[in-house]
Amino acid sequence: MNEKVTFTVDGKQLEGKQGQLLIEACEDSGIHIPRFCWHKRLDPVGMCRMCLVEIDTPRGKALVPSCTTQVSEELIVETESDTVKKAQEGVLEFLLINHPLDCPICDKAGECPLQDQTMAYGPGESRFIEEKRHFEKPIPVSDIVLLDRERCILCARCTRFSDEISGDPLIEFIQRGNKTQVNTFPDEPFKSYFSGNTVQICPVGALTATSYRFKARPWDLKKVSSTCNCCSLGCSVELNVSQNKMLRILGEDNEFTNQGWLSDKGRYNFEYLHSENRLLNIHSRENEDYQTINISDAIEKIKNKIKDLDNPDIKFIIGANSTNEEYFAINKFANSLNRNEFLSKDKSNVYFADDHIYNGYFSEEYTSATFEDLDNSDAIVVWAEDIKDNLPVLFLRIKKAVKNGVKLVVFGHTNTALESLADLYLGAEIVSNNFELKTSLSNIQELKDIIDSKKVTTIIGKSTPLQKKDSLDTLINHLQKVSDLKVFNCFSKANTFGAIQHIDQIKGLNEFCTEYENSNKNIVFTIGANPVNSSFFGSKIKNLLEDTDYVISLDIFKNETTELADLILPTTAFGEKEGTITNMEMRVMKQNKILPDPGSTLSEWEYLIMIAQSLGKDINYDSVNDLNSELASQFTMTEALPTFDNLNKPSNLFGILNQKEINLNIRDIDQDSSSLLMVKRLYGDSSTQINSPSISMLGSERFIELSEFTLDKYGIKSNVATLTQGSSSIFVNIKLNNLLPDNLVLAPINRRGFEKLDSTKDFDLKETKNMKDLSVN
Amino acid sequence: MSWETERLEKAKQIIEMYPQKRSALGPLLYLAQDKDGYISNESIVEISGLIGITEVQVQSVASFYSMYKQEPTGKYLLSVCKSISCEISNSSDVINSVKNFTGLSNNETDDENFFTYESVECIGACGGAPAIQINYETVEGLTPDKAVDLCKWLKEEEPEIVVADELQDKFGGVKSFDWAIADNNGATSPVPGFQTYDTSKEKK
Repeated sequence: MNEKVTFTVDGKQLEGKQGQLLIEACEDSGIHIPRFCWHKRLDPVGMCRMCLVEIDTPRGKALVPSCTTQVSEELIVETESDTVKKAQEGVLEFLLINHPLDCPICDKAGECPLQDQTMAYGPGESRFIEEKRHFEKPIPVSDIVLLDRERCILCARCTRFSDEISGDPLIEFIQRGNKTQVNTFPDEPFKSYFSGNTVQICPVGALTATSYRFKARPWDLKKVSSTCNCCSLGCSVELNVSQNKMLRILGEDNEFTNQGWLSDKGRYNFEYLHSENRLLNIHSRENEDYQTINISDAIEKIKNKIKDLDNPDIKFIIGANSTNEEYFAINKFANSLNRNEFLSKDKSNVYFADDHIYNGYFSEEYTSATFEDLDNSDAIVVWAEDIKDNLPVLFLRIKKAVKNGVKLVVFGHTNTALESLADLYLGAEIVSNNFELKTSLSNIQELKDIIDSKKVTTIIGKSTPLQKKDSLDTLINHLQKVSDLKVFNCFSKANTFGAIQHIDQIKGLNEFCTEYENSNKNIVFTIGANPVNSSFFGSKIKNLLEDTDYVISLDIFKNETTELADLILPTTAFGEKEGTITNMEMRVMKQNKILPDPGSTLSEWEYLIMIAQSLGKDINYDSVNDLNSELASQFTMTEALPTFDNLNKPSNLFGILNQKEINLNIRDIDQDSSSLLMVKRLYGDSSTQINSPSISMLGSERFIELSEFTLDKYGIKSNVATLTQGSSSIFVNIKLNNLLPDNLVLAPINRRGFEKLDSTKDFDLKETKNMKDLSVN
Repeated sequence: MSWETERLEKAKQIIEMYPQKRSALGPLLYLAQDKDGYISNESIVEISGLIGITEVQVQSVASFYSMYKQEPTGKYLLSVCKSISCEISNSSDVINSVKNFTGLSNNETDDENFFTYESVECIGACGGAPAIQINYETVEGLTPDKAVDLCKWLKEEEPEIVVADELQDKFGGVKSFDWAIADNNGATSPVPGFQTYDTSKEKK
């Protein structure tokens, strides 16, 4: 396929690859052929005929669509001949027969391929006086996407995306001829984690998203490239801002990571930035009430607290949404507070607020993987959290690799969404309800056939906080032994890898609870973390924080943890701060600032430096650039370092793999069995999502998944039930999932109502018979 | 309102005929049409479950082809050809007589759910023009009067099965050639009565 061919376009000799599509080969050589339906990441369909070009054939010149014609040796192509121009005019005239002239009120106007190409290639005047086609409009095809069928030019980009890329074809062409329209099946909305991509690739204003409709005109938007921090994949995004308000996030085509696509969470989780619930002032607790104080008073308070206590015990609970520069500052600050206790490296005082984090496979015996390796390996082996819900775009990359013939092996009970793609799904027969392997892996013949002496990329991580590391060790040792292995440590939360890189040693909340219990309980900093709500140890941490002398919370919203704080410092969020983040390939990527700091918010590092300086510590950074250049200088590679200057492009390979030693010290959670399998869903009750009106309702459904066997065991016949544990009971919808092993009930951990449940305790499930039962809740 | 056991059994037999389940979509849609006289949404859901594609993908195909009916049809679907060969053999008179007798306009079904009338493009019987189809069973060499007789006969007899050969003998004129398949057993619903779809019944 990589053989070069030479062909001629408009008299110019060009080079392309054998089998490459003409439109793509021309694009690569800088010749733009107009198109509507063709998209680099989708299969060609030849739907719109806009890309017609003239080629020489044995029977003379012929018009062919360049999106379905492959380049071949000595092909002669005309893209601007009179015939081609006439064809383009004709195609546009046909497309415009039914396209409404509502550009003045259309969100797409100004960035609309149909508008632009009509100006560039169109006939200039219309001969049609007939009535245009009419449909009811706009119709909601999902909670966040609206469809205007009159504007649709039937390019099939959205339907192909949902079929080929995301694999949930819930929109299709309905009817025929003049009545052809894109639509959903009645009562089957376009409920996809990736529906926003169809809005972005729509070449007209037919698909629009609720969050952006009628908010701005494209020419008023200020734009900057950045990196999404919704998961650890690091999708390249373009932030669109008007009048200091974030209005839209678009996916940027970064060959190495997201390839243009975004999950709906990454795309629409931004309205919280301007929520009226944002923390904008410093709050200090004075006699049970919070009072607003200014920054110098706040710093003074912290300084006095630390100075008053002799050799105070100070701990940090950090979240995953900080930038590398912020982690770097946290690390400096935390180390500077070490008086004598923390001098050795393994006496860390920084704890990471994600129960899924464990010691992982970072040592030199493991080769770390990049997303490209997924495409180039023979097989992918997954045993991790639910990929589709926690790393949605990685799901797309896996799907793409599988489509191209890479074999997929899935272990465990959490990745049931991958089952239909998997060549080998090792669920209940191989993996016990406690996530232990029941048989020796070398005994599984099908696995042998797929992985032995092959190139294997594994995505490995804890499927649930309760999974023991032993089982993962067994798998990775086996893979290491029989195959040529590359490893993805699967930690799904935002900048987990940045924290791992830049903090000398990270411990888990398990360690926090045991170590803190016996300490003086002086001061705790929580930085962008809400362990009270999101952790397995939530209630324990709540008690510990209540017993603490002084709790300082740095956050963007009030939450269950800030409620326990004595001092709340409001921080800047995504788009309001500049910095770098490290994705799960250890690729360092840039986050850019485009919004001003709201209210009296400051970045996390600014607070910490101010506190450090007030305490007379020798930590001096004037700007995030200072932090960045010192941080970058730690990298030992000889190529360009991941400084801001080197990271201007949407993608950057320079940052891959810091040679710095990675030091994670996290114990397994001491619990042998789980009765409820709690998994994180894409949409939930995070404060950012609840405060983004366009997507807040997406995480509201309460449901559990279980197999038919388990359902029968509880004698449930309807699809609603009441889940009771101790004194708390919640009403849930039932979803059948026969891939789950018997007696295991899967529940979302990040939904309202579920946070009270303890996955290790027994529960009861009762059928809910009528609406009366519901009102109890 | 899911499918009855017998129909599901037929569906399974059809699915087995194809290397990929989704390829059975066409014949399964005829099974659905045989059930209700049109492709109901319930049947779409049923088929989607049987062959593992989404409902809207089934609907996409079902709404594309005109022989898959999206609205309920009557017991007898009358399809009169309006294409060129029939037109020059005065099919418009046949069309008018059928329309007058039934009181229906194009694509309309009467209140009793007895007749559905449609005028259609070429039905492949140009040699015997003008032609009509009753539940896709073709009658050639029709006259306006014979067409009315045919409708009257259907109204009085209400046959469970319509068979092309029988109708041809009773109401047809010149037949182009003996084109019908040998084992044609007639149609019991607006579905072509081929064995493949297994919607035909044994001739009494």
